[in-house]
Amino acid sequence: MILELRLPDIVPQMTGATAECLFAEAGDALRLGSKLVDLRVDLSSAFAQECPPISYYRIVLREKAYLRQINLQPGEYVGLDGPVALLSSSPDEPLDQTPERPLRITVAGILRHDGMFSGGDL
Amino acid sequence: MSTVPLRLGPLGAKGYSIQRSGIRWLREDGQHCRANQPIGWFNIVVEPTRALSSGVPVFGDECELQVVVAPRISGRLSVESGVSRGGYLSVRSVDPWDPDTQIGSIETGGGDVGPDAGTLRLMVLAGRRMTDLANVHGSLLSGWHSRTRGWWCDAGEAPLTLLSQGVCDANGVVLGAQSAFLEMFEAARQALQIVYVPDHPIAPCVPILLDQISRTTAQFDAIAEDVHRHFAPGGNALVPQDWMFLGTMLSELQSVPLKDTYDIISANGLQQLRAPNAVLLSLAVEPQAILRHKSLGYHMHVMRHHQAAAGPAVRAWLSTAFEPVKRTIDMIRKDYEALIDRLKQQTGARVIILNRMSSSGREDVSNYMGFDAPLGDTLSNVAAKEWNLMLHDIAETRPLDIVDVDAVAAEMGGAEHLPDGIHQSGQMQSLLLQQILGFMEGLSPPRHQQAA
Repeated sequence: MILELRLPDIVPQMTGATAECLFAEAGDALRLGSKLVDLRVDLSSAFAQECPPISYYRIVLREKAYLRQINLQPGEYVGLDGPVALLSSSPDEPLDQTPERPLRITVAGILRHDGMFSGGDL
Repeated sequence: MSTVPLRLGPLGAKGYSIQRSGIRWLREDGQHCRANQPIGWFNIVVEPTRALSSGVPVFGDECELQVVVAPRISGRLSVESGVSRGGYLSVRSVDPWDPDTQIGSIETGGGDVGPDAGTLRLMVLAGRRMTDLANVHGSLLSGWHSRTRGWWCDAGEAPLTLLSQGVCDANGVVLGAQSAFLEMFEAARQALQIVYVPDHPIAPCVPILLDQISRTTAQFDAIAEDVHRHFAPGGNALVPQDWMFLGTMLSELQSVPLKDTYDIISANGLQQLRAPNAVLLSLAVEPQAILRHKSLGYHMHVMRHHQAAAGPAVRAWLSTAFEPVKRTIDMIRKDYEALIDRLKQQTGARVIILNRMSSSGREDVSNYMGFDAPLGDTLSNVAAKEWNLMLHDIAETRPLDIVDVDAVAAEMGGAEHLPDGIHQSGQMQSLLLQQILGFMEGLSPPRHQQAA
């Protein structure tokens, strides 16, 4: 069974997110509770006239799956509902089929940390 | 039904004359007005009379002076023709302030009104421009200011001063929708002065405030000299944004709003108010890591959107001349305690602080395996809860009033009223404003502040 992860609607007014940190690579067997990616949501475009909130989120798996394809690298931007990753329930299922359903995930706000792509920024 | 004439009422200072512009209305003829709701405003100038012409001018560095007026009773507003002069005559101060000038009237629903019902409540606004180039006359406190303030008091009263040294969550509440303290003025029955100092470009987290309150003139001179030494050789490489950022930064580093004293004029004449009686802070501004100058040791905290206002030379300087210092929750607590103790000792000011929203209806974490322990170092909502609890720990041993943003947002609904955790709806700001005013009502009147 192919599972897909698209960028979810995390906060109102967001139009996309930037990958800050990847915790897995294609081929990895991920357990329930595995970290997948940290994201930065920057609302500068929505609130350019005022101080733009920048917040960070982590996507964590709520089911076990094999990561087959990741479409983001640290520093890359993806639009809302854009493709983030493809996963499967067994390690070698062909990816040329329509995903059966979205991957079950948890998203939670996190603090900025040194491992992030922008961690060295001021 | 009765008609009550609205008169300006007394405003003055012995030895000074006050001139005013034509009125600019905030409410229109025929509109219903609430009691204490601002209905119009004037620009004013305060100048020494001839006898004092060699004296020190009051409000010397505050070029923006305005007076907002509000009726003491509710009813339908009828405006007097001729008090709105229009054009530059509603910008420039062309008429003397006459307490008996009638600007309109209020039709009330009947019943007895007090003898002072027709005397307008006055709020005086003063703005210190960041630069005299920022002389914008468009509206209330328009332009770019390094400090704005508004005060109101009736005869025989001396206002308490609240200084807002927070960021958006605090400033939005005190400034209100038009950035001119109008909501505070309408809501407060107490004589108050509200002072706002913006975070341009340095955000007022506690290490910055501690630096400010303890920095000596020699230490500031060393900072200025270091800045000059660093940038002078490459002066040609600086772009206008660098110059503006540096000028503003040095100006802010030299100021100490926590110790400012104030001249005010009112029905009581000219008064001098001492340092703020209370300081409003934001927990949300505290960073987990702060920049510290590598050789001089002072701190720097520039919010990300203000970093973008600097040019490349300043951004490079911030990256190389400073080092990031991590702050644990214990370090942040100690910083707060030091600030509270220092203020108590030096000015007597009480600290009021807005805590942080610590929950999100959009999160549904059912398993914490994906979040590294300790969770307070990883999850923002857990961190916010721990930081909020830290404030209560401080309040156990020190005077600290906590504005409970967390509880108010949870009660009202964070998604609707505090969607990003910082910027509140107007309805929520009204509730927070009431909490702040409640804390101010609990403070003792300023015994030391005497009419001049």
